[in-house]
Amino acid sequence: MACVHDHSCEDHDCSSDFSLYKHIDIPRVSALNEATTGSVKSVFKSWEQRLNSSGGHLESNDGDPELLVFIPFTSDVKIKSISVVGGADGTSPAKMRAFINRDGIDFSDAQSMQPVQEWDLAENLEGLLEYQTRYSKFQGVGNLTLHFPENFGADTTQIQYIGLKGEATQLKRDVVATIVYEVTPNPSDHKTRADGGGGLSHVE
Amino acid sequence: MVLEATMICIDNSEYTRNGDYSPNRFQAQADAVNLICGAKTQSNPENTVGVLTMAGKGVRVLVTPTSDLGKILACMHGLDVGGEMNLAAGIQVAQLALKHRQNKKQQQRIIVFAGSPVNYDKKVLEAIGKKLKKNSVALDVVNFGEEDDGKPEKLEALVASVNNSDSSHIVHVPPSAGALSDVLISTPIFTGDGEGGSGFAAAAAAAAASGVSGFDFGVDPNLEPELALALRVSMEEERARQEAAAKRAAEEASRQGGEQSSNSQDATMTENVSVGALVDENKRNDQTDNETALLEQALAMSMDDPRSSQSGGISMLDADMSDATMEDQDLALALQMSVQDTAADPTSQTEMSEVLGDRSFMSDIISSLPGVDANDPSVRDLLASLRQGEKKNDDKPSDEEK
Repeated sequence: MACVHDHSCEDHDCSSDFSLYKHIDIPRVSALNEATTGSVKSVFKSWEQRLNSSGGHLESNDGDPELLVFIPFTSDVKIKSISVVGGADGTSPAKMRAFINRDGIDFSDAQSMQPVQEWDLAENLEGLLEYQTRYSKFQGVGNLTLHFPENFGADTTQIQYIGLKGEATQLKRDVVATIVYEVTPNPSDHKTRADGGGGLSHVE
Repeated sequence: MVLEATMICIDNSEYTRNGDYSPNRFQAQADAVNLICGAKTQSNPENTVGVLTMAGKGVRVLVTPTSDLGKILACMHGLDVGGEMNLAAGIQVAQLALKHRQNKKQQQRIIVFAGSPVNYDKKVLEAIGKKLKKNSVALDVVNFGEEDDGKPEKLEALVASVNNSDSSHIVHVPPSAGALSDVLISTPIFTGDGEGGSGFAAAAAAAAASGVSGFDFGVDPNLEPELALALRVSMEEERARQEAAAKRAAEEASRQGGEQSSNSQDATMTENVSVGALVDENKRNDQTDNETALLEQALAMSMDDPRSSQSGGISMLDADMSDATMEDQDLALALQMSVQDTAADPTSQTEMSEVLGDRSFMSDIISSLPGVDANDPSVRDLLASLRQGEKKNDDKPSDEEK
């Protein structure tokens, strides 16, 4: 179910709503069937930047419009709605299926499993459409996997922006720590999370 | 240090009984598999490796991805050779095994040893490759054994369709290349896209029984640095000599109106041209005018009375070099230059002194010689005197002793 903004965005600051991007663990974001490895990270930015494609966009391989995007969060979040900006000329995705808290889904899993929710998308080049979630099912989300099985007829699927609206808790679902074997300490293994997510965001 | 889960697909078909790789293709494969497993687990302790066979009664997974090296080595024992390889099924089963890996954070990789002919169409292989690429699985192929026509192209097409920013590789190993594992050590399959595997590869080569061909000159630089250095020096000089010869050939091509004058002086001319070339190498710079000057000197020497001390000194350098192959072009060029200018060139002397004056070069040569201590005062005195008065003939014979 889509809802269109029926107010002009100047008096109501939409950007603060779509601030769950701050809680996304960007280095661990991955996608399957992307043409350029790592291009998926450019898709998560602030709402004001949603139409700014200077950082690149996510594109699927030639001849294959399926995309699978894996989004881990730095803490558990509750997702209220999702906004997707696609590309022009039929490269926008037509359907979206969401899976929650599942690691390592690949295409055969995604096609056979029942998603938590799925939507039919419209071409949304301005980024004004949002798709509501069944909020009760999207509580305590540690990671989100979005599967885009089809597009509007082009050879590839392009995604410029994915925005998530909701609330972040400070809890972490996944308690197993990453094990690092060290004979001598390697500073690059011990990056501090100085720019990670922090603080609550709230929804009007 | 990439975190990776690898499935190795072994070919145990009848074609691997062949002995064109020593001791037979299957054993060579097994050695290579052992080395790869070691390399993977050493580069990152959390890496896992699994093994499956593609021939025999059917595709069979011997061990699912595990980081336990002992299990992997154990399963390689007692394998039967027989049947025909099923490449497509093997890759698909490998993909399935990787899909169910325990640690989903690991990257997926399949390594295929293709020893028998490939019966599949290029299209089928490309479709398989696309599916692997879509699920971001990397593929490495080792093409050895049967040289079927079309097999290298098919495998290249397969790897090209999987390849995503250089993560997949293909290696062709002909039977003449020696041991399969030794050839693989230097490939990106082992070195893992240029990361930490090369350290392991060097250690493995040193530890392995053959331990020889892992290095450029068959010598471990850690064990025998002087020998490795001497070999490297002579290799560079040989290369410089060949460049000089190529340049001369190019010059000669532009002066094709060469004289076909008397061949009576052939022998001496040849020898002195070769000597001139060797002296070139010693200087390690390819300036054409220097070469010309040296050639002139060499020719002049053959024309005039051969000064034994000079040639003695040069023959010392001669001994260091490998055999010089002479070409007619060099000879014609030498003849031409002798016709043009036969005056003995005083610059030739300075060339020699330049050579001997090149301290780093000299110290390299001297340190490479067994039984000579570069810090020995007598050696140092000798070097100093050489640099000062290069015309002293009595220095040369003593230099010759070295």
